[in-house]
Amino acid sequence: MTSAATWEPLTGMDPVMTIAQDLFTTMIDGEPGHLSPWLGDTPVLEDPRYAWVDVDGPVVTRVMLMAGRATGENLTRALLAMDADEPVSDADFADAVGEIANVVGGNVKSLVTNPGALSLPVVGRDEPDNSSAMRIMATYFGWKGAPLGVSLWALT
Amino acid sequence: MDMKVVVADDSRVMRQIVIRTLRQAGYDWWEIEEAENGADALTKIREIQPDFVLSDWNMPEMTGIELLRNLRGEGNQTPFAFVTSEGSESMRSQAEQAGALFLISKPFTADVFRDTIDPFIA
Repeated sequence: MTSAATWEPLTGMDPVMTIAQDLFTTMIDGEPGHLSPWLGDTPVLEDPRYAWVDVDGPVVTRVMLMAGRATGENLTRALLAMDADEPVSDADFADAVGEIANVVGGNVKSLVTNPGALSLPVVGRDEPDNSSAMRIMATYFGWKGAPLGVSLWALT
Repeated sequence: MDMKVVVADDSRVMRQIVIRTLRQAGYDWWEIEEAENGADALTKIREIQPDFVLSDWNMPEMTGIELLRNLRGEGNQTPFAFVTSEGSESMRSQAEQAGALFLISKPFTADVFRDTIDPFIA
């Protein structure tokens, strides 16, 4: 009999993963186990949305989340304790997804050397211009089977 | 005993989560007034004279720390605490120096709320 391979000991060491799992366990799912590293090919997000906050400082650090609209709506329902089929307004969507970026950003800020102010979250259909930024890390998580992207950028 | 509390956060979603978590922590008897930023909270605190204020830090128009400094500057000693996504030592120190009772960092649980708040309302 063979046991299934697991990458958990390695991926679990990622501080962003730890921050995200804490957030999802306490405020979104109410229990652990629904957010895990995305294993496999880079997923394609359907009807993607982007949410980000910037941590000011000698180098500005951007924390960006990416999710399909449907996944963002499910996150909004979870945060607001809404029914599964309840419609999600654009305002609630932007507020909820932006607040997830804000909480991740605030926790990332505590790991940055000499951080400045945390910006208010921005949520949109278009990816922000990161063309002149250096990517620090980028990864995908799976939340109840749906992909969620998280990336950190150093803006120059 | 009546307990009037102002919860200030620019995110309506987060205000709902904070209020829901307060209920889960056993403070379902609190009478809660919501404020959508520091300036709104300042107006409501002057008006209703709450027993306690729970505020986000990073808000438009007036931040949480500006709100607290404004209150103390005008002699208002309403017990005040932060619920914020940033929980660094530097911010905790700033909060304490400005007169905050404590700072709860997001994400949080009902247990954290209860363990942190209970000693101050006993």
